[in-house]
Amino acid sequence: MADVVHTAVLVLIVVSAFFAAWFRDLLAAVISLAIMSLMISLEFYILQAPDVAIAEAGIGAGLSTAIYMIALRACKRTRR
Amino acid sequence: MRGWRIFYLLGLMVMCGLFFGALQDIHPFGEPVEPAMDDYFLERAQEERAVNNVVTSIVFDYRGFDTLGEAAVLFTAVTSVVALFRKGGHER
Amino acid sequence: MNPLSLIVRTVCNVFAWFMVIFGAYIIVHGHLSPGGGFQGGAVVATFIAFLLVAHGGKRLLGWVKEGLFSAVESTGLLIFLGAGLFGISTTFFYNFLAKKGGLFGSVVPLGSNTGVLNSSGTIALMNLAVGLEVVAGLSLIIVYMFKGIRLELDREEESHDR
Repeated sequence: MADVVHTAVLVLIVVSAFFAAWFRDLLAAVISLAIMSLMISLEFYILQAPDVAIAEAGIGAGLSTAIYMIALRACKRTRR
Repeated sequence: MRGWRIFYLLGLMVMCGLFFGALQDIHPFGEPVEPAMDDYFLERAQEERAVNNVVTSIVFDYRGFDTLGEAAVLFTAVTSVVALFRKGGHER
Repeated sequence: MNPLSLIVRTVCNVFAWFMVIFGAYIIVHGHLSPGGGFQGGAVVATFIAFLLVAHGGKRLLGWVKEGLFSAVESTGLLIFLGAGLFGISTTFFYNFLAKKGGLFGSVVPLGSNTGVLNSSGTIALMNLAVGLEVVAGLSLIIVYMFKGIRLELDREEESHDR
């Protein structure tokens, strides 16, 4: 059971990283990046590093998403 | 443009070969290679520094100089962001 | 950023404070449970981002004071450096407060236990200092980035008028 969850989290990291590079809509790409950060934080928790997991969830999924959103306000929303 | 793509593919294949080569003799998960330092910290941290969380005792006490560097990096990042986005920062 | 709807603002008013409480808990209990100054500071700084998204930038800029944040950040770094410098008689970053009694100096029992809150010497003090620095620094990054973006957008509109 634990192996199934672990493998699913690893697969979700790769899938969301692929979608972050694949989306033309930059807002969708940023949200995909936030999902990747959340999954990485879950992976750190599974690997028994709760310190790093809290830091990743706070910085990666919370703050960097907000900063990307602020930056997206000042540029075109879709990629060429 | 098309000629460079061959080089990119070659570099990707070389990187894949290196990664899979390194994967052959990967260390098993959860077994530290050199456990002497870990045992030292786990035995001494509670009686020397009176702290229950050994990770925090390493981060803020035994290796406090690293944390000072981290704090300095954050301070420099904030300073550069403020210098970049300050009001009237780039008026010509 | 424009303010979001009434539902989002009400939820923000009620639940944003729990983020501050949780971050402060992580900072204060840094020497007992996972987490510490950096992690708890990041959680508290998410509060500012939440306020910016829910209430819009105009009201947030009326609430925050950049000078206060800047002073708090510098104070945190100075407390951190000072706590390291006071142990210089033994080594730099020596834990000179541990097991001396007082506010930070309780002795913990050996073996696995639930922990004593006012133990661990300079570690708790440095957690508080780094927490203050990270809260103020990351909030300052968000506020100044928003102000810079707003400046950029305003100038773009002016240049379109010409």
